[in-house]
Amino acid sequence: MRLNVSALSLLTFILLSGCVPESQTTIDDQGARESLYDWGLPDAIPLPREPEDNPMTEEKFQLGRHLFYDKRLSTNGSISCSSCHHQDKAFSDGVARATGATGEVHPRNSQSLVNVAWYQTLTWGNPSLGTIEKQIMLPLFGDDPVEHGLNEANSEQIMRNIQSDPVYAELFASAFPEQEEPLLGDLAWDNTIKALASFVRGLVSFDSPYDRGELTESAKRGEALFNGERLECFHCHAGYNFSDATIDRETTFSELDFHNTGLYNIDGLGAYPAPNTGRHEVTGKPEHMGQFRAQSLRNVALSAPYNHDGSVETLEDVVRNYARGGRLISSGENIGDGRISPVKDGFIVSFQITDEEVEDVVAFLESLTDTSFVTNPRFSNPWLDAP
Amino acid sequence: MKRYFTLFTLFLPLYVHAHYIPSLDEPLTISASLAATWRSDNVVGEYDYWQIPGTLMGGDAWPAEEGVQIDEMNLGLGVRIDQNLYGVLEVGIHASGDEEHSSVGLEHAYLGYACCEDTGPWVIEFGRMTAIFSPNLSAHSSDRLSSEAPLIEDVFFGRNFHDDGARFMWHSDSQITGVEIWKGDAFPATSSGGYAWDIFTRHMWQNDNLNITTGAWMYRSSAETRSDHRYGGSHQHTPVAPPGTTVSTFPDTRFTGDTDVYGFHADLAYTNDSKKWKVGVKTELMEMQMEGKLHDSVGRVVNVDAEQLGAWVQPYISWSVHTFGVRAEWLTTDNDIVGAAASQLSVDTGMANPTGHEPSRYSAIWLWQLRENLAIRTEVIEDKTLLDDQLRFAVGVVWKQALWPFNGKGHHH
Repeated sequence: MRLNVSALSLLTFILLSGCVPESQTTIDDQGARESLYDWGLPDAIPLPREPEDNPMTEEKFQLGRHLFYDKRLSTNGSISCSSCHHQDKAFSDGVARATGATGEVHPRNSQSLVNVAWYQTLTWGNPSLGTIEKQIMLPLFGDDPVEHGLNEANSEQIMRNIQSDPVYAELFASAFPEQEEPLLGDLAWDNTIKALASFVRGLVSFDSPYDRGELTESAKRGEALFNGERLECFHCHAGYNFSDATIDRETTFSELDFHNTGLYNIDGLGAYPAPNTGRHEVTGKPEHMGQFRAQSLRNVALSAPYNHDGSVETLEDVVRNYARGGRLISSGENIGDGRISPVKDGFIVSFQITDEEVEDVVAFLESLTDTSFVTNPRFSNPWLDAP
Repeated sequence: MKRYFTLFTLFLPLYVHAHYIPSLDEPLTISASLAATWRSDNVVGEYDYWQIPGTLMGGDAWPAEEGVQIDEMNLGLGVRIDQNLYGVLEVGIHASGDEEHSSVGLEHAYLGYACCEDTGPWVIEFGRMTAIFSPNLSAHSSDRLSSEAPLIEDVFFGRNFHDDGARFMWHSDSQITGVEIWKGDAFPATSSGGYAWDIFTRHMWQNDNLNITTGAWMYRSSAETRSDHRYGGSHQHTPVAPPGTTVSTFPDTRFTGDTDVYGFHADLAYTNDSKKWKVGVKTELMEMQMEGKLHDSVGRVVNVDAEQLGAWVQPYISWSVHTFGVRAEWLTTDNDIVGAAASQLSVDTGMANPTGHEPSRYSAIWLWQLRENLAIRTEVIEDKTLLDDQLRFAVGVVWKQALWPFNGKGHHH
């Protein structure tokens, strides 16, 4: 029996000391953290996806920056992208609804352009717009409503104006070195769109007091409320970009998330006033009535007024609408009680909140303001610097 | 009848308390046990999570806490209904990390049937049970020399294994072989992943001085979107902490895939002729193989292929009412994670191990049996399960009592 004891002890010793592999965890991210472009991101933020046919480069970003601020990209030279997307307002415009080149008022509020590269879908309520390149076609060439007012009749002349500027000749050549004539022929507009998309994709903001861990006591209380059972904010405004419509290189699949927040209920069945019915405009499905994408809350304090139609003036009012479980409109053409909307999101339930707690939540939202983003010369109008 | 008795006595040295077959001599038995321990330090901070680098943890593998903690409290009832049929009911409380997880749980509620003496006996049990494929997995704190569960049981099985299932066993005088099938509610399985099952065999040998038991087993399970239910798994929120304390939200990550665990155990004891002292060693070795996907709520998915090996060895010596022992535990983890989110998910799940950390723990234990049913347990533990070493001390009481019949000999097996 002594032999048995010895044999077992020996077996144990061998297993534990001789033949056991050393501990290790090998990581193969298949190049998910590699890019030709310097995104300048904190380590914790995964890289956004880049279209295979339009990888990010600094040269395309700089070309796009010039185009973004160029009013020649409109039917009458009256507006540029920056007309509705001001850097100091986190690339929103501060008005409820913007006016296009021909005077047509857009039914939607101008979205801020913050970390757009991480959005799963673009625009407020269109589930089929998955790339910035596709989205940019709408303000440039769309006719319902007219924004920049480009069309078949005027696009050739507008492109000629661009082609005649020697600044662009150099910028296009740098941005698309693999093309012999990047500013001529069929490729000119395609390259313009790609460059604009590159600039918008490069508008990155991850340097707020929240990111630096510099929250005030009020903001800390607000953060706890934001992530708490009572308010449930974090479900839709989730993750590092504070939106559940976030994708990046690390996400393999993602559901399309759109939400009806009970902002309107004009027919007792949850209807929103036309033409602003959100996802429903595209799908036609009744259950999609009033569904909009959850906006990133980064720099949200700079992008008032709020909601898809700019109909809510302040962040305090936004919070109070949620606290009520939906907005009550007691007069006017959109009269109705959003709280009893049958199609509103399940997370929009009423909750008790004090005035001080509202202030705390707003303080937390204000802590997401990245002042370096709104003052960064890299994102500013390059034509102002030109000699 | 004689063979039944043999079966029950064979179980005795292995399953002192966890597996229970009421005897015909005492058809009704009620027993209770309590193990409570004061510890000098927490394994992790109050608002931190116990996550051993390189592992996927879960179940009830809560960290040891500073102060007095009830490791376990159980109340069991066994009924021998007739020659063949018996039933067992047991409720218990185990140490947990917070009030939310500290409820009384139904650990045993099963019926058993023993029969067919000519070819067996054969035993079939079904209901809510503790798995017995690993004898140490089914042992409570009051049954072990150490107050803390072995590291490999915490990591591979989430400490406690209670599930709905069925057990089928056959034995000879020195051999037990069985199979268990489980609904899949016990870590590392999930019921949505399908049934889990195990097979085990055990050989026992004894003479006047020596008792030797060796055994081997295999456990196989699947999991679907398994979370670490200790800290997450449903609603994820930032824990509420005092002002000035930094708290992070537990990452809501999941595992979907297969887990196979293989084990070998041995228990050797030598008792001198006067029965006054005894020396022995217990050991268990487990290898876990895991293959599947790690994923989270925002659509990150990576492939994981892991092979982890762990063991503990516990030599001990008993003299009169004193038992002195040393338990040494080791764990090695060899993980491969592939996918675009490999960096992030390896951190979020706890599978990351950039320093090649090899968890280990060493315990020196003195158990003083004050009375037949009451013991004092003193321990010194060098804990190297996390990156920072820790030395902690523990003093506790162990109480085990047959409540009915008061001096009864009904055995918890």
